[in-house]
Amino acid sequence: MSQILKGFEGPLFYLLLAAYVVATLLYWGGALGKKNGLSRAATWVAVAGLVINTVTIVVRMLIAHRPPLANGYEFILTFCWGIVAVYLFAEFRYRLRALGSFVLPVPALLLLFVEIAISPAERSSTVIMPALKSQWLTIHVATAMLAYGAFAVSFGLGVMYLLKERKMRAAARIGGPVPGDSGADERRAASPAESSMTGGLPDGSGLAAGVVEVNSGILARFPALEVLDELAYKVVAFGFPLLTLCIITGAVWANYTWGTYWSWDPKETWSLITWLVYAGYLHVRFTRGWKGRPAAWLAVLGFAAVLFTFFGVNYFLPGLHSYANPSG
Amino acid sequence: MGREMRTGWGLVEEWLTSMKLGLILLGIIAVTAGMGTFIPQVDQSPQEAAKVGQLWQTLGLTQIYSTFWFRFLLGLLCLNLVACSVRRFNGIYGRVFRPRPPRTAGDLPAKIRTEIKGDYQILQDSVQRTLAHHGFRLTGRETETGWSFLGLRRRWGYWGSFLTHMAFVILVLGAFLSSLLGAKGYFMVGAGSTLSIQSIMTEGRIDQNFNVRVNAAEKKYLPNGQLDNWFTDLSLLSPGGHVLVRKIISVNHPLTYRGITFYQSDFTSGVHLTADVRGKEQKVLLSEQNGYNYYYAPGTDLYFVVAQIAGNEQQPEMMYLVYNNNLRVVQQGTLSKGQTANIQGEYKVTLDGYAPFTGIQVKKDPGVGVVWLGSALLLVGLFLSFYWRPARVAGVLSHAEETKEGILALGMTAGKGSESFLSEIRKSSEDV
Repeated sequence: MSQILKGFEGPLFYLLLAAYVVATLLYWGGALGKKNGLSRAATWVAVAGLVINTVTIVVRMLIAHRPPLANGYEFILTFCWGIVAVYLFAEFRYRLRALGSFVLPVPALLLLFVEIAISPAERSSTVIMPALKSQWLTIHVATAMLAYGAFAVSFGLGVMYLLKERKMRAAARIGGPVPGDSGADERRAASPAESSMTGGLPDGSGLAAGVVEVNSGILARFPALEVLDELAYKVVAFGFPLLTLCIITGAVWANYTWGTYWSWDPKETWSLITWLVYAGYLHVRFTRGWKGRPAAWLAVLGFAAVLFTFFGVNYFLPGLHSYANPSG
Repeated sequence: MGREMRTGWGLVEEWLTSMKLGLILLGIIAVTAGMGTFIPQVDQSPQEAAKVGQLWQTLGLTQIYSTFWFRFLLGLLCLNLVACSVRRFNGIYGRVFRPRPPRTAGDLPAKIRTEIKGDYQILQDSVQRTLAHHGFRLTGRETETGWSFLGLRRRWGYWGSFLTHMAFVILVLGAFLSSLLGAKGYFMVGAGSTLSIQSIMTEGRIDQNFNVRVNAAEKKYLPNGQLDNWFTDLSLLSPGGHVLVRKIISVNHPLTYRGITFYQSDFTSGVHLTADVRGKEQKVLLSEQNGYNYYYAPGTDLYFVVAQIAGNEQQPEMMYLVYNNNLRVVQQGTLSKGQTANIQGEYKVTLDGYAPFTGIQVKKDPGVGVVWLGSALLLVGLFLSFYWRPARVAGVLSHAEETKEGILALGMTAGKGSESFLSEIRKSSEDV
């Protein structure tokens, strides 16, 4: 049984990689060519990718008789699952297809990284050290997966915001209101959830009033700035408690295993730094009313911290989490 | 209007309670913690840290997390959080336990505002009915122009931010207790060894006095050949030799006795040897691990060092090196089970068999309970902040002049069902 399943692992991985790459291309094609058909197809390819991702994870669990959280390849599989699951929820909930152009490249690139940097032998099910045999690990990584997925989506929203805001600023500098303002149309066309959202943008920007909008290119398909801003906040607010839970369960697990709940291990330290960046994001929003561009930059910076915690630490900074190195 | 100038304590209070200070501290702590991952730390890699030089050590850059200034930053952040929380306490308490309806329409929540006109009494009834139907806790009062009200739902959510801030302080407090009152030690021995707890502890101090005996140590495998776990049969003995507690521990299954916990930490191969020094036999246990891998024969200047252990548990083999006092290798060779080596004509060593070595981490941490309390509070605080956000509906109902008509000015915070809530009030007042 196990041997048969092992035979499926390779093809499943390539199928998964193909699904996410094709979904990315379709999202880009749909956005650039303003083809709703392509965008719809992208969504369904992404859904198919999520199903394949789930099957790939389940097959690995059946082979290894444990949660798939023992090496870098397995972590990346679950990370991709978290990103796409949170993204698809956001797409269906808020009808935001344009977001796919910025989020789906993340799992696609992660899997391409696996293909380039991790050999098939290193991807295979390996013996896990006794320290990893704990239920705390399952909760620890499951919460990380969802939190990181949410942060990837907030990153996509942040990038969308910055691109659109930059274009609108440029338009405002050139000549004020742009003929054929599509901003009002966008707001009218937005879903009920979107249309009920309001939110202040930086004072005096002129953008807050929707004076200037973009009416061409991919940016015209983006939701209004305040919708992007509010959604990014909601996604971060969803992910932040999960990241906290992830850090706490990691501490409980470390205490059970090594007798130390916090050892300033590089992975721990960088997860704390990531936590501090998002804590700062939420804090300044609540108390200082920071919205718009600074918040979008913080969302991008936060995800950079996530990626460094995930990859940078494994490659550049040895520590207790050395078993989490992508190559095993 | 100019800003009020503060002096003395007022200035300190303003500085301590300022959000800016909190954010600056968060930023500094994040940057500092990040630096600590790039600069080799003493307890992670002494060889690397040594290269950094005396200056870095003087600045504390090789022990950032335990330097005075890093702890000072954490302490200052806690002070800032406490000061901010204290300042906000009354406001939160009032919102939750003494909610006040608005005096004028200007006091209404600005997120969503609307105005409904209709029969005064009907509007009042429909507001009360709709709020009750949606689970709002209603507080009303008569005003000069009519009636005003405040409806609250999920009011405990107001405590989220307060709890989160205080939880962080409790966490740091727990960590401080751990470093102040905690103690830790480590030992690696072969089966049959007995050590006193006082000799094991290398950091901090403990009051108890008992002995620790390793009865057996074993590495177990699963049927598929994969490593299952490391197991150590551990006994804690009173000074008189009485068994206080006995347990087989493994990774993730520690033993706790009177606040002292024994964690299975490492496992390595070792060998049983017999050293025959001028006719006097001595049993020796050595492992591959540094610190436990050499034997110094009394009356000689020779160190017998285990270089590598190979073979299996039944037929072990070992490679050895012999150093003199000048740290020069004067002899090397291999031994199989039962074989004897003559060490420079000074003494003989016989390999008797395989001996597993177990590494045990010992820790007493009175701060850990406080840390878990802080962690739990942090989660509760974040849950309340982000998943239990309060909904507030406030309104001012005014009499239209000399008629039965009323004008209801409504304001509410955005939330799920805001639109449906408003339409229900409209529909309810129209139906009546």
